[in-house]
Amino acid sequence: MRIKAYGALVRASVMDFMQFRLAAFVMLLGNIIYLIVIYNLWRAIYASVDNATINGMSFNDTMIYLVLASAQFTFMEAYLVWEMGRSIQSGKIVLNLLKPISYDKYLLFGIEGGNLCAFVVTFIPTFIIVQIITKGAIHMGVNLLFYLAAALFGMIINFAIDFFVGTICLYTESTWGINIMKEVVVLFLSGATVPLAFFPGTLKKIAMFLPFHAIYNTPLTFLTKGEELGLGESFIMLGEQILWAVVLLIIGKIFWKLSERVITVNGG
Amino acid sequence: MEYVIELKNVDKEFKVLNRHEGLKGSFQDLFSRDYKIIKAVNNVSMNIKPGEIVGYLGPNGAGKSTTIKMMTGVLQPTRGEIVVNGKIPYKNRTANAQNIGVVFGQRSQLWWSLPLIESFKLLKDIYGISDKDYKDMLTLYESLVDIKELYSKPVRQMSLGQRTLSDILAAFLHNPPIVFLDEPTIGLDVSMKAKIRNLIKALNKEKNTTVILTTHDMGDVDALCERIVIIDKGTMLYDNDIEHLRSFFGAYRTLLIKTKKRPEELSEEERKSELESVETIVKEDFADKDFTFSLSDEGWCSVLIDESQVRLMKVLNHIQEKMKVYDVRLEEISTESVIRKIYEDAENLKKAN
Repeated sequence: MRIKAYGALVRASVMDFMQFRLAAFVMLLGNIIYLIVIYNLWRAIYASVDNATINGMSFNDTMIYLVLASAQFTFMEAYLVWEMGRSIQSGKIVLNLLKPISYDKYLLFGIEGGNLCAFVVTFIPTFIIVQIITKGAIHMGVNLLFYLAAALFGMIINFAIDFFVGTICLYTESTWGINIMKEVVVLFLSGATVPLAFFPGTLKKIAMFLPFHAIYNTPLTFLTKGEELGLGESFIMLGEQILWAVVLLIIGKIFWKLSERVITVNGG
Repeated sequence: MEYVIELKNVDKEFKVLNRHEGLKGSFQDLFSRDYKIIKAVNNVSMNIKPGEIVGYLGPNGAGKSTTIKMMTGVLQPTRGEIVVNGKIPYKNRTANAQNIGVVFGQRSQLWWSLPLIESFKLLKDIYGISDKDYKDMLTLYESLVDIKELYSKPVRQMSLGQRTLSDILAAFLHNPPIVFLDEPTIGLDVSMKAKIRNLIKALNKEKNTTVILTTHDMGDVDALCERIVIIDKGTMLYDNDIEHLRSFFGAYRTLLIKTKKRPEELSEEERKSELESVETIVKEDFADKDFTFSLSDEGWCSVLIDESQVRLMKVLNHIQEKMKVYDVRLEEISTESVIRKIYEDAENLKKAN
């Protein structure tokens, strides 16, 4: 019965996504503009050095990585912190709390469907275009399956972090600053804006020690370095992701449980 | 189980930061630990039986919504005990949610962009309603209101009335033993209000659902509630049936007098002076008695008389001797004026209880 309830939430978010077809196109357009900007930016960076590769990555490698990262962003980012902040401020959260499903699951399954749609609508086309333009630069093997699994866990880790940050909104009753901070930290340390290979040694070590790299860097590694990765190494990477996902979900849940009490929903 | 809802000496306090004025004050507030405690609900106790429709009344900010939120489990009471369906709501909120339905008049639990029937189907799966129960419920709905034509309409395109109607149906869909309706008729036109009242009444009767209703509309109270609970400033003022309340105020009757042929054509000042002259006439003879004087919308002078103090006919005779009276009307006190009297004077009420 519970499974059916979660299924219903996924269904609702799929239908919601379909209702706003236009939003998907705008998203795609915004993404293209972003890609033009980073293309020129990195072109300039590579033109300024003599080597064809920087930190072991050629211009092509970097572009492939960043194009895929931005495509992954479009299906992973669910703007959950906004959503939570808004419903806390407006008091709409009461209605979500009064569903016979715990709030974290309600949110998780409520964004899953939209993510799935965005994956089909934006990521798959981007992937195909990259493959055609680069004449098959991405290795097509078992690494693709690893990618799918890694993307799923990355999404869950991203959700857990968002849920934690969104819970902070219960205390602050404002969203803007917190969300901006979260986005900068997550996108930077996860390797979504700059590949981790470009990080200086210590920062890279720190980044690899934190959970954020498991959101973007880990899945994307399965695509960009698909050939080099052995099975053992792949499973270790997945295992690390699962560990982070479990730990962060538990922390988020505990923090939420402790924070629930401060809910003082608007209106008297 | 005798009662579906039991509240015992429930208190709810909120901690609010004492805000300072101005820009300087805002900076002070950043580091201030100067909190004040606001008592939103103060020592409220009540027991509600299955199948009752209880009107929960009180002026704005009286603590109605806070009480409802505690009963649903969203808020935890500071002190006291709440048991709903045999469970403590805030400790079992998710489980409790299965057994209650809620409508907050200002918000919708329906999926904004989806057609109504999709929202119903989603709720069916979320609450785990069996196919048969779901079908029966829809058949019942269709027999009560014209809902069929709304099925394919996205909620965001609905009028407020249609949305409220849909929201109420959504709250009853999983056939919960208790439904909370927080100002369900707010902002609706007269015919929609009547429709919604009939619907609530029918569902209550058909399913024996306990309904807790907050409202500012006395029409709702008259049409639906056998029992009312009145709360003000967090304190319970009254808990009994409506008849009892009316009978307590039953000694009051309103005398309406038309002192000019066309009072509706009089200016505001002229009306007031008419009322004043009536007031002086009444007071010179019954100085030791209590009356309430007011003007009706059509410009009639209205005198609220406590018949346990002085007979209405006596007052009327006296007025007639002193001034020309074109027309006279008598009115029983309405629920609305009863409630207004209660808000105005909580002392009297303690005697009624």
